[in-house]
Amino acid sequence: MFKLNLKIAFRNLLKNRGYAVVNVLGLVFGLTSFLLLLMYINHEQDYDRWDSGLSNVYQVRERHDFFSPDGKQHWQYGIDSKIAGLLKKSIPQFRQVTKVSVLWRNGTAIKIGQSEPILMNDLLEVDSLFFKVFPYKFLKGVQKTAVSEPNTMVLKESAAKKLFGTLDVLGKHVKVLRWSSDEGKTYQVKGLIADPSTPESLSFGAVLHSGEREKDPEGPGSTNYCQVYALAGDQIDTTAVAKAVQKTYIDYKKSTFAALKTSYDDYYKGEMFPGLKVVPLQQVHADPPLSKSWLEKVKPIIGLTVFLLLVSVINFVNLATVQSVQRAKEVGVKKVLGAYKRSLLMQFLLEAAILSSVALVISIALTELLLPVFGRHFEIEMTFWNNSRLWSLMIQLGAVFVVVTLLSGFYPALVLSNCNPVDVLKGTYERGLKGVALRNGLLVLQFVIAVTFIIGIGVMFLQSSYVAHKNPGFEPDRLINIKTSYQEDLAEKIRRVPGVKYVATTTQVMGNVFNVPREITYKSKDYKLNTVTVTMDALQALGTQLVVGRLFSRAYAQDTLNAVVLNEAAAKLLGGHMLGQQYVLKDEGEKHTFQVVGIIKDYHNEGFDKEILPTIYKASSRGGTSSTNNLLIRFENENYQQTISLIEAEWKKKYPDYPMVYTAAESAFQDALKADRRFIEMVTVFSFISVALSLLGLFALAAFVSKRRTKEIAIRKILGASDLQIIRMLNRSFLILVLFANVISWPIAYVLTNKWLSGFAYRIDMPVFPFILATLLSLTVALLTVSLQAKKAAVSDPVNALKYE
Amino acid sequence: MIELKNIEKYYANKGVKSYILRHVSTSIKQGEFVSIMGPSGAGKSTLLNILGMLEEPTYGAYEFMGEDVVSLNERKRIELYRNHIGFVFQAYHLIDEMTVAENIEAPLLYKKVSSAERKSRVADVLDRFNMVAKKDLFPNQLSGGQQQLVGIARALVAQPSIILADEPTGNLQSPQALQIMELFKKLNEEENITIIQVTHSEVNAAYGSRILHLLDGVIKEDLSLQQVI
Ligand SMILES: Nc1ncnc2c1ncn2[C@@H]1O[C@H](COP(=O)(O)OP(=O)(O)OP(=O)(O)O)[C@@H](O)[C@H]1O
Ligand SMILES: [Mg+2]
Repeated sequence: MFKLNLKIAFRNLLKNRGYAVVNVLGLVFGLTSFLLLLMYINHEQDYDRWDSGLSNVYQVRERHDFFSPDGKQHWQYGIDSKIAGLLKKSIPQFRQVTKVSVLWRNGTAIKIGQSEPILMNDLLEVDSLFFKVFPYKFLKGVQKTAVSEPNTMVLKESAAKKLFGTLDVLGKHVKVLRWSSDEGKTYQVKGLIADPSTPESLSFGAVLHSGEREKDPEGPGSTNYCQVYALAGDQIDTTAVAKAVQKTYIDYKKSTFAALKTSYDDYYKGEMFPGLKVVPLQQVHADPPLSKSWLEKVKPIIGLTVFLLLVSVINFVNLATVQSVQRAKEVGVKKVLGAYKRSLLMQFLLEAAILSSVALVISIALTELLLPVFGRHFEIEMTFWNNSRLWSLMIQLGAVFVVVTLLSGFYPALVLSNCNPVDVLKGTYERGLKGVALRNGLLVLQFVIAVTFIIGIGVMFLQSSYVAHKNPGFEPDRLINIKTSYQEDLAEKIRRVPGVKYVATTTQVMGNVFNVPREITYKSKDYKLNTVTVTMDALQALGTQLVVGRLFSRAYAQDTLNAVVLNEAAAKLLGGHMLGQQYVLKDEGEKHTFQVVGIIKDYHNEGFDKEILPTIYKASSRGGTSSTNNLLIRFENENYQQTISLIEAEWKKKYPDYPMVYTAAESAFQDALKADRRFIEMVTVFSFISVALSLLGLFALAAFVSKRRTKEIAIRKILGASDLQIIRMLNRSFLILVLFANVISWPIAYVLTNKWLSGFAYRIDMPVFPFILATLLSLTVALLTVSLQAKKAAVSDPVNALKYE
Repeated sequence: MIELKNIEKYYANKGVKSYILRHVSTSIKQGEFVSIMGPSGAGKSTLLNILGMLEEPTYGAYEFMGEDVVSLNERKRIELYRNHIGFVFQAYHLIDEMTVAENIEAPLLYKKVSSAERKSRVADVLDRFNMVAKKDLFPNQLSGGQQQLVGIARALVAQPSIILADEPTGNLQSPQALQIMELFKKLNEEENITIIQVTHSEVNAAYGSRILHLLDGVIKEDLSLQQVI
């Protein structure tokens, strides 16, 4: 019986090849995107699962406003290093506490022997307890003592291969330069650890142990920031621990404030309050401080994917029920031959299962094919077959298969197996076919989704072209940024290179923003403003636009003392007409007075989702602190490649052991727009697929309806109706449906796109055009699709149609 | 075998009952060959459908082999289809996606007959109907008469006690029609299968042993034919 059903299924599929292909294709689209999403979610949930012991590891977070992007207090994982010792002392549940600092992400130079230095940007500086907390597997070396001596390091397998080209690294010495002007220190490799099987939130290629992390800065006023991780015993009472942690912190803060003779209560007021907490390491990736979690980021994509799968399933259901008319006779006959309803139901589910398994297989192949592209898009690495959780992935796929089969097969199967044999055998089934309302409903739903997508693309496109054409307030072309501290001697040498216009530094540039909030007093009112330290010609180098007054200049000796430039946002915040005005800054009890010498246009240094902060620009004679990590170079003309190699030669002379790394401001600017652009690309792809699917559905339905009405059409033609009249007749009902779908889509699309737009500090007003466009487009395409079918029916020979009725 | 008592069937249309069958009472015994005749719209098909339990009467009692059909559940009815009733249709109603052999085999599958037995029975029937050469063809590759032969073969293969046929020769030329009638007669006489057919043709009806004349839903005449031929 099963065999025969299978045979019939295949014969049917072959006979209705067109429908089968459309059905499978639709499902493939939906499933592939769903699979990709599923794998992405699996990948993200896999963070920090490489050892069971990691469930007892906690990341410590402190609430503070130091280096926070908006100058406000946030939970951060860069915390006061003294907290580590504090927790170890007063929280007995924590067996080990380790301090880790991430070395500058722009690169640490590793020099092996006399070879060219290699830049690594995934190094950690750790204290001697690191491997007591993180249970890495040592392939070589001894876990307990690997980093107990100063100037030791441990490499991951992958990093060892990259640096040395061999795993035989134990005992070797390397010279490490943390920044360009660092004279460097020699470390000995004391261990080699296996790369963990899952991604890590604290990822690294190698850990260094210089010994500096062992001690904290002295004196209550000085703080050093690092990350702190604690290993707890099994099953700690988290609420009790959280309470103890918070209490320890408050006591510590109170004693610090007392030692500094400042008022604890004055400091912690309003939105400021003390806070210290521990977060399980395995939740860190899902709950990052200062940024949206991955789940938050992919939520819209989850929505899109589920919708796409839904559209493809609807497509399937529509096509299947439409086809069921053809199958009704088979069902009727089988019923009078003694088939149970259940066995018929199973037969049709079997057919749906065949189609969805074919779709699933194709989707898996397609997913495999798309993974590299997808991975590049999201900057992650995933493989299908080498997936560490292949089994659980298989189970998930099985579940998806069952759900899709049931969703798409159950309703058509039910309709068919419920049909009354008398109707079928009498030939009245087709006319009496129920579910017309349902099919129309599904079609409307498909179009609602498609139209919403189209409107979405329209709005996104307008917003992104607005952003792309928006004046960033500075000139990103002919500008590069070398990631290094500003050294006057090198700057002077570079200035002399032909083709170089300005060499400068600033603490705030696209791609590397360091906001320092300062409180000032102006006309006896206090304001909190962002402060940026620049060299004399940094604002010129950036190409900022002066509104009134002047920029800093060497011609004015006092510029490095008490002159400031404001951006328009700051001027506005302070009440406007700021040129020549003075304000007061209190610094450790002393009062300094500054005068505004110029006002510049706001310029963007982050994505357009972020508001430009009211900012004070202050010139520094020292060329900024060594931590700006920006060396801006503006060139005279577009062809500056030659000039760069000249600069590189100067660099080599000064820093032979540290490679020069630079980014073009243009590409940093593009990077800032990347996330939004990616999202728009995604939505565009999804939209096209969903629109295509909806049209397929419409096409099939139109084909079905015109087939069902063949006889009617033939008779009308014999009675003298023109082809055009017949096409119009068939179109009418569909156009009403599509129009109806449009009306439903408008408010939905409005709410969704409005929500998306509100994520941008700089955005367009809600445009009307995409709405009109979507409606016109959907109507036109629907009209064309239906007309194509209707035309086929209308021009067919009426005699044939009647003869075979 | 069949007992009909006061069978009524009507459709209510805008409050008006339009009767299709009225006070139909009759009994049919095992081994009879009954032809139902009457003008178009007289209710012949409706009566046959009720006999085949495809439709329910609005009123009246129907006993099939001693069982009350009205109170029969779906499962029991399907059991009757599997074991006792064979249908033959005017439009043949073969399953297009199955070959001749598969079409004939289908009812045996539902009866859960073993594979070996199925094979031999299908081969047997094909042989009897001279269709062995055609067994792997699909219905649309056969003539109308051949299709109807397959339809009858399918009805027979499960060895039913009764065959219900609604104008089995309605779409056929008379030589083919006569062939089918001969077949019915043979089955009726040699295997004692009860046959109830709807027909417009006096010639076809003459093959049977009894004629029910239906007019406007009422049995006007119940004629027993003398087996003189
Ligand atoms: N669903 C229905 N609703 C209303 N009336 C119906 C319905 N089905 C059948 N009828 C009516 O029942 C009557 C009997 O129909 P039936 O098919 O039994 O006639 P018949 O004797 O087989 O005619 P023919 O020889 O043309 O096949 C007809 O008048 C028909 O209009
Ligand atoms: Mg009839």
